[in-house]
Amino acid sequence: MSKKPGTNNVWKHALAISLVLFTAFPIYVVIVTSFDPTGGISSSSLLPVKFSFDNYIMLFTDPLIPYWAWMKNSLIIATATAVTSVAIGAAAAFAFSRLRFKGRKVGLKALLLIQVFPSFLSLSAIYVMMEQVFLVAPTFGLGSIWGLYLIYIGGALGVNVWLLKGFLDSIPLELDESARLDGASVPQVFWLIFLPLAAPVLAVIAVLSFIGTFNEFVLASLFLQDVENRTVAVGLQQFVGGQFEATWGPFAAGSIIASIPLVTIFLSMQRFIIGGLTAGATKG
Amino acid sequence: MFYKLVGLRGPLALFLKYGFLGAADAALIWLISAAINKSSFVIASVVTAALIFLNYSFITKGFIPLKFLSVGLIFFAIFVVTPTGYTILMSTYNFKTGNEIGKEAALREIINNGIVADAEGTAYDLLLGKTSNGKYAGILENQVTKELLYADENGVRPAVESEITRDISGYITGANGITTLTDEDFANEDAVITALRFPLGDGSYAAPQGSNVAARLIQSVVYDPVTDQLENTELGITYVDNGNGNFVAKDDPTTRLDPGWRAYSGFDNFKSLFLDEKLRNPFIKVFIWTIAFAFLSVGTTFAVGMALALALQGPIKFRRFYRGFLILPYAIPSFMSILIWRGLFNKDFGAINMLLGLNIDWFDSPWLARFAVILVNLWLGFPYMYLIGSGALQSIPAELEEAASIDGATEKQTFYTIKLPLLLQILGPLLIASFAFNFNNFNIIYLLTGGGPTNAIDGEVAGATDILISYAYKTAFGSNFQDLGLSSAISMVMFVIVGTMSMYTLKKSKVMETL
Repeated sequence: MSKKPGTNNVWKHALAISLVLFTAFPIYVVIVTSFDPTGGISSSSLLPVKFSFDNYIMLFTDPLIPYWAWMKNSLIIATATAVTSVAIGAAAAFAFSRLRFKGRKVGLKALLLIQVFPSFLSLSAIYVMMEQVFLVAPTFGLGSIWGLYLIYIGGALGVNVWLLKGFLDSIPLELDESARLDGASVPQVFWLIFLPLAAPVLAVIAVLSFIGTFNEFVLASLFLQDVENRTVAVGLQQFVGGQFEATWGPFAAGSIIASIPLVTIFLSMQRFIIGGLTAGATKG
Repeated sequence: MFYKLVGLRGPLALFLKYGFLGAADAALIWLISAAINKSSFVIASVVTAALIFLNYSFITKGFIPLKFLSVGLIFFAIFVVTPTGYTILMSTYNFKTGNEIGKEAALREIINNGIVADAEGTAYDLLLGKTSNGKYAGILENQVTKELLYADENGVRPAVESEITRDISGYITGANGITTLTDEDFANEDAVITALRFPLGDGSYAAPQGSNVAARLIQSVVYDPVTDQLENTELGITYVDNGNGNFVAKDDPTTRLDPGWRAYSGFDNFKSLFLDEKLRNPFIKVFIWTIAFAFLSVGTTFAVGMALALALQGPIKFRRFYRGFLILPYAIPSFMSILIWRGLFNKDFGAINMLLGLNIDWFDSPWLARFAVILVNLWLGFPYMYLIGSGALQSIPAELEEAASIDGATEKQTFYTIKLPLLLQILGPLLIASFAFNFNNFNIIYLLTGGGPTNAIDGEVAGATDILISYAYKTAFGSNFQDLGLSSAISMVMFVIVGTMSMYTLKKSKVMETL
């Protein structure tokens, strides 16, 4: 209800533009660095002086940098984690939201409480455990991406049930009831009514879980020791986080390529994701 | 009627159900047999339990909810509950560098370390070699008494001059039945040779100290399993179990024998965290910064995000561009953004110093490092606050604003007295969730500053930007000293804080009432 729309918009643009600059600054630098063959992070000036694809070429040709393998590992583990945790979360949330059984309330509260425990501080316990598993089944033990995957989905139940349950509770119970009257079994209600209705929310959870797994660093860096088995997060960190001279050029190029799938997914699903985030807010 | 047509009750459904169950069973049974093969019975029994639980939940007709929960519960129990329980258990143990093995192993090591040179310093000239069956044997000549002995792993017997050959200067160069070792043999089997012990028959040993000398070693520490005491026969000191993972001298409990073992210590880790000054001071420092960091992070991101939401609420030019561009920090993988920022803050080639024409070592000064952490977290976090803020703004009825402006309130007044309180009420749970998230925001600290700057000269573990979770991590996985017990205790403290906060939020937001 502003009376002077002209002047009023000035601060809005000023704020937005300064935030655009703030946001753009590291993105700009990383793009410039990725094309700078000298490898420093803006070694002499902020303006691009040289231009080459050397850093990108290096990622895919240098035998010491198995970048494709890292990307592949990250994508595989993130996809697998996303799909599995949505499946587990959807089934469990359905049970907690739609079915009435003994221990339901206690179970929900316990899930929440245990989930609050900073899980990666059980790192040493998990580490010892996976060492043992490695001796029995190397595919699922320490050092393999599938062992890491098992740990990631261990937490799937706690996180997603609460997110999903909030949504499920908003689907009117009458829907299930009328279906049950028509002779549908509980699994049928799940597959034929609940799943189609919840599909958008499930997609959001899948994306959030994908992004979360793709970003995960601590467990991955502790578990994946072999260069070939690393995820992109661990692999790229080695370029700049080590004791040696940081090699920003390949890091920047690798970051840009790795960001592309995430930013694409995020932007294409933006509306759903924002809807999912604000659903919690507006319900109050 | 419709549901029958879809046929999810038919043979296909059954086929799918048992197909999946069968595949899972096959995999689990394979795991069990692999575990038994490697005689890893804990894993075998855990997997067996999972197998039984899974099949029971799917095959029985009753208790439908279990069918939806069983798979998730199995993973949750194995990979979340078990390690968490183990961590809680560890917090009640003295479990740190020097106290990380079991008591038996520690005892073995102490007794092994208790083998020392005798008081007289008896030494032998040594000729070391191998017998015809490849066993080590040697000729020992006491350097003082010139007594000659033939020694092998079974013991010693007197030897005579005729058995051996000497060079002009009197060194023993050969002996009957012994093939002397070449220099190469010494180099290759160094580890085995230094561990050789030739029993001298009176409870002492002759042990090679290099290629041609041996020393008489005696077992100075003796363990008495009945009294659970160690006796040092050389020094005449008795050591007792101090109940906290170490043997200490009976008369002087501060004299400890290394190594110790991990021992149940009750609440000692918590006590020392709150009472021991060396631990309490850094803990309090880290604690205060953790709270400040979480508050500042939520505060700054909320202020900027909300301001942006207000700015972009009405019709404004370039709105779509702003919106699309400004959520980029939320979409870009955060570990990369943090590492990039780390580069930007670099003293020598970082873009920030270059842009400002400065030469500041940002991560070397506590306050600058803290500022950097907050700034980077603002970059990472404001888009989220913008998103939830604009969602919340839309849910505030427009009539409220109209009514206020009719009553003569300015836009500012409307915002501060009507909208903001409402927004805070709506967003309260999410803000608290965000607070809890930042309370545990390990990545930004670990990847940006590593918790530093740290006053390493004073032996400090905690740096100026360390928050509790990174402090606990350093405590448990530090490069010099690792204290898993203390680290677990810190985790427990965090658990209580964050848990209380979450429970409070849930009570407030009334989620629990509608369970």
